[in-house]
Amino acid sequence: MTQIKSEHVWPFERSSPLDPPPLFAQLRSECPVSKVSTWNGSPAWLLTRFADIRALLVSPGVSSDLTLEGFPEPSATVAAARGGQKNFVRMDPPQHDIHRRMLAADFKIHHVAELRDYLDELVDRLLDRMEEQGGPVDLVDALAQPVPASVICKILDIPLERGDFFQDRVNTWMSLDNPPEVASQANRDIVAYFDQLVDERFDAMGDDLISRLIEGQVKTGKLAKTELLHILQLLLVGGFDTTANMIALGTLTFLQNPDQLAKLRENPDLVQGAVEELLRYLSVAHQVAFRLATDDIDVGGTCIHAGEGVIAPIAAANRDPEVFEDPDRFDITRDARRHLAFGFGLHQCLGQPLARIELQVVFGKLFQRFPALRLAEDAHTLDFRNSMIYGVAALPVTW
Amino acid sequence: MRIDVMAERCIGAGNCVEVAPSYFDQDDLNGTVKVLKDEVGEGDEAMVAGAADICPVAAILLSAQRSAHTA
Repeated sequence: MTQIKSEHVWPFERSSPLDPPPLFAQLRSECPVSKVSTWNGSPAWLLTRFADIRALLVSPGVSSDLTLEGFPEPSATVAAARGGQKNFVRMDPPQHDIHRRMLAADFKIHHVAELRDYLDELVDRLLDRMEEQGGPVDLVDALAQPVPASVICKILDIPLERGDFFQDRVNTWMSLDNPPEVASQANRDIVAYFDQLVDERFDAMGDDLISRLIEGQVKTGKLAKTELLHILQLLLVGGFDTTANMIALGTLTFLQNPDQLAKLRENPDLVQGAVEELLRYLSVAHQVAFRLATDDIDVGGTCIHAGEGVIAPIAAANRDPEVFEDPDRFDITRDARRHLAFGFGLHQCLGQPLARIELQVVFGKLFQRFPALRLAEDAHTLDFRNSMIYGVAALPVTW
Repeated sequence: MRIDVMAERCIGAGNCVEVAPSYFDQDDLNGTVKVLKDEVGEGDEAMVAGAADICPVAAILLSAQRSAHTA
């Protein structure tokens, strides 16, 4: 009979910055399906095995609707921030599927691949600017944030000058250190901006993504204007910190694993596998995959009852030794493609082809351009963000 | 080995295209799965099984039978 412990409180602490909390490994071997308390004292099931997490995320017996009674959240701030999100991340079928399908074609792999030339030029330009500036530079400011900011502005056909406004509002919304009201206000600011933009484009008949959604979905009555605004908020937050933090932490990971960096530099064809391994190893979306059971479901021999909350951390799945040999070792030659860094099930990240291509271009060029890249300050001075998406506030580098 | 898909489940993630691009593509209109060849060639079984495994919504079904379809 599975022992159920309620003594642990979510979220857990990390003991080293690039590894998940050690409690995952401990629970995975002692009590892989256990109970934890969340910020408001309510309990939730915690899964730690890859197989269980995958099964849970693809189960039809769970909901992502956080308005449901008992839905688990990691903190009051996140509850407020996510409460302001009314897009398909927080919906179940059939409405989820209807909304997601409106965007799926824009994120097709072959369509996203058309951005490669643009990305090559963008990253070259940012690296040129770094070179002109001379070290030390903050890589977050010089490369990690501008890449996704520029890409989202390009996809939504928004002036690049807006990038700073977005960066500021998204960072504020994402931060777990702000009081709930501050997070909510940042979200309202983002939605208000899109409200104005949609009004401006309403009769423009343009072929940018926003205009096409207006013509094809809003004017035909399939999507309310407010629903469109929330979808745009999702596209913004979904692709922003996630990619920026992967660029910054990925760079740090390579700098701390010089043998792996040497392999990448010797053989640039390894970049695709290296990106998958970075995604697995870092699992930056460390507060996602919260669900509410709507049916009784069996997970690893334990019955999770309808109405109970579940936390299925991708970081725990991605370090499961049953699936990834020597899981805490960063190894760009392993086949890491089964990782759950983008989640699993019907909410799996819509932007994953875009994330992949951005990271492939960045890591394909950064160390070729700056072979002597190194940290400009001691690693222990780095400020790892307490944020919905794990990252580092600044990464001072030189060469 | 034969490939069948439950297209109504597909969310257009494209993982199958990444793993087995000679067998899977995405529809232009809504990004959902298009099977390019439903008979798996010799030597490709592991790759196609990998695609089925990695599908986030378990929409790809593999069976041992060869296609029994006639026109």
